[in-house]
Amino acid sequence: MVRWDERAAAAGDPDAEEAVRQAEGLFRQERASGATAFKVGDAGPAEKIETFDPEAEQIIMVPRVAGG
Amino acid sequence: MTDLLLVLVQVVFGLLVVGALCWSLAHPLNRHDLRPYQAHSDWLEAKASAERLLAEILPEHEYQQLTRRGYLEVASPGIPGRIYRVPKYRGRVHVYEYGHPVMSLCIQPVDLIPDGDVVVMHKLMIEGNESEYLRLANQFEVFPSRRQA
Repeated sequence: MVRWDERAAAAGDPDAEEAVRQAEGLFRQERASGATAFKVGDAGPAEKIETFDPEAEQIIMVPRVAGG
Repeated sequence: MTDLLLVLVQVVFGLLVVGALCWSLAHPLNRHDLRPYQAHSDWLEAKASAERLLAEILPEHEYQQLTRRGYLEVASPGIPGRIYRVPKYRGRVHVYEYGHPVMSLCIQPVDLIPDGDVVVMHKLMIEGNESEYLRLANQFEVFPSRRQA
């Protein structure tokens, strides 16, 4: 799990920026392996996303699934 | 002499069984396919992490429903009156429409992940990608007797 302070990242904090880069790398890596990304927050139901959103409250990657 | 030999064979067999059991308990990775996890402790940490995620993303009443009743009900975002009943542990998802069972679904992650993460997977897929969820799932009809229930 990668966490960062959104305001710190916007203000150019190097640690926060590094965390965002790390999260984006993980996002791309998991998407390439067939995972689906969902944006999750208090506001409502989960939303499928195709591109990384650094302002999302939380992004959860669901690994590839198949009929059982 | 034959009796003694028989007892000896039984003792050796018993020792082999006990030995195999001890070896199995000492090597848990050989009992389950835990390839993504380097050690049994990694698997335990993954399970604990999955529980934390469940508690974090589920509203309190949904988390209580899951722990007390053993399933989580997820409302269909696209089909009025439809509810997906997701089991806490692996198994089929039962689908109800206006309180009546209509079918069950079998869909699972390709790789081994903890049960808590499987519940999260169902919830996110249903809420955020229902059509793909239904396309991928194997669907099973409900027996007519249950449909009347």
